[in-house]
Amino acid sequence: MIKLNKILKLDKNEIRVALFIAVPVAIVLLLVVLKLGYSLTGPTYDVYLKIDSISSVAKGTPVRVKGYEIGKIVSIEPQYKPALHFLAVMRITKSVDLYEDCSAVIQNQNILGDPVIELRNPEKRGAPLQPYDVIEGVEYVNLEAFMQDLHVLLTSISSTTDVIKQLTVDSRQNIKSMIGNLSGAIANINGILNNSQKDILEIISLFRKTAVTLNDVSDELKKHPMKFLLTGSDKK
Amino acid sequence: MFPLLKETIISTAPAAYLIKKSKGALAGFNEFRSYIQDIILSFRSFRKLRFRAVYSIILNQTRFTGIHAIPVVASIAILVGGTVIIQSMSNLPQYGLQDFFGNLMVIIIARELGPLSTALIVITRSGSAITTEIATQKWSSELLSLEAMGIDTKLYIVFPRIMASILSIFSLIIFFDLIAFLGGYIISRTVAYIPLEIFFIKLLKAFSFNDLVSTVLKSLLYGVLIPLVCCYYGFKPASKFEVPIYVSRAVIRTTLVVFGVNAAVSLIFYFI
Repeated sequence: MIKLNKILKLDKNEIRVALFIAVPVAIVLLLVVLKLGYSLTGPTYDVYLKIDSISSVAKGTPVRVKGYEIGKIVSIEPQYKPALHFLAVMRITKSVDLYEDCSAVIQNQNILGDPVIELRNPEKRGAPLQPYDVIEGVEYVNLEAFMQDLHVLLTSISSTTDVIKQLTVDSRQNIKSMIGNLSGAIANINGILNNSQKDILEIISLFRKTAVTLNDVSDELKKHPMKFLLTGSDKK
Repeated sequence: MFPLLKETIISTAPAAYLIKKSKGALAGFNEFRSYIQDIILSFRSFRKLRFRAVYSIILNQTRFTGIHAIPVVASIAILVGGTVIIQSMSNLPQYGLQDFFGNLMVIIIARELGPLSTALIVITRSGSAITTEIATQKWSSELLSLEAMGIDTKLYIVFPRIMASILSIFSLIIFFDLIAFLGGYIISRTVAYIPLEIFFIKLLKAFSFNDLVSTVLKSLLYGVLIPLVCCYYGFKPASKFEVPIYVSRAVIRTTLVVFGVNAAVSLIFYFI
């Protein structure tokens, strides 16, 4: 710095002011460069792998896509908040296109149990994977257990469907007999209605006769009320 | 007769007061306009100005306005950044808006609070000092001496301060934003954890060229307006007893101007 002062003939204040102006200008230029999409990190970039335990992953664990090695884990950092978990830093090459929603399956690559991280791109591709994005790690052991659980669940659903089918068959028999009973009941009601029709006619004719008799009585009562009361009708 | 006179005085008093104030404001506006006109015209004698003298004033003014203000700016930036980050981290997730954390930080700190807080610090520290310095120079007849030597005082005093203010305010705004983000991040670690890289990537994603242009534009406008208004009031005092009055007036008027410009720039970028 002293040599630079002598060469440029700058005093302390000039250097301070120059730094005071140069540092923000450099920050703004850096921001512009980064926003334009240029990278300062070179042909590789770092991506985080979020894992619950570090039992199956270690520093140096290879990262692959379709079996092709694209990088490795360079460090593992514990995170204490909100709950203990780990962020493994995967340094991967930029040559392979990866997308934000890609999955990372931690599996064993051989019979000795050496782990490997297999990155899988999603079916529907979204935004490209950016440096320092976080990918949720899924352990293959967990995946297998999950598949077994899913199998059990599907078996249960299948048996439940059988039971429902059986119930449906039984119900159909019951419904058939109910419909038979119902048609018998309707036939009975029809018979009752037919019989009732004859009786109703007789009752109506009897009503009619009674009405004629009552009419006669009333005529007699009008003509000879006292006689009717004391002696009865003429016919009688 | 007296009640009638009283009524007349009461009814005309507010109108007379308003007319008087309007006339005063108009006269003040005309005076400020002629002051700016003088400065623009004084650039004709720019080539006669000694570079070393102007350079020296710019250097000293930048040191005073910019470098000496860094501790104050840093303290306020940490407090403002911490408050904004803690509030947004504790409240945004309640509304499911945690993904907009970066955007909110950029809008509040980088776009609005950073330039405004920096401008207020510069007004209170340097604006008042500029007014006092010029008023004292005027009172001690230094300005008269300069003019007697054929030096254009408007150019010699105002122009270097404008240049220094532009450089200082631009740098201070960038420092304010950076310290607010960093300090806020450190304070926020007591509440919740976000990896530093993720924090800055979120901010970078949220930062747009509009924000950058807005910040540069504000620093340019504040850099021109603050020394311009403060120098104007520095040339005003006729006696040493008027110095505090004009210093106070300079601070208040410059603050009003800065708030107005801030609102206007925000409005322009809202429509863009």
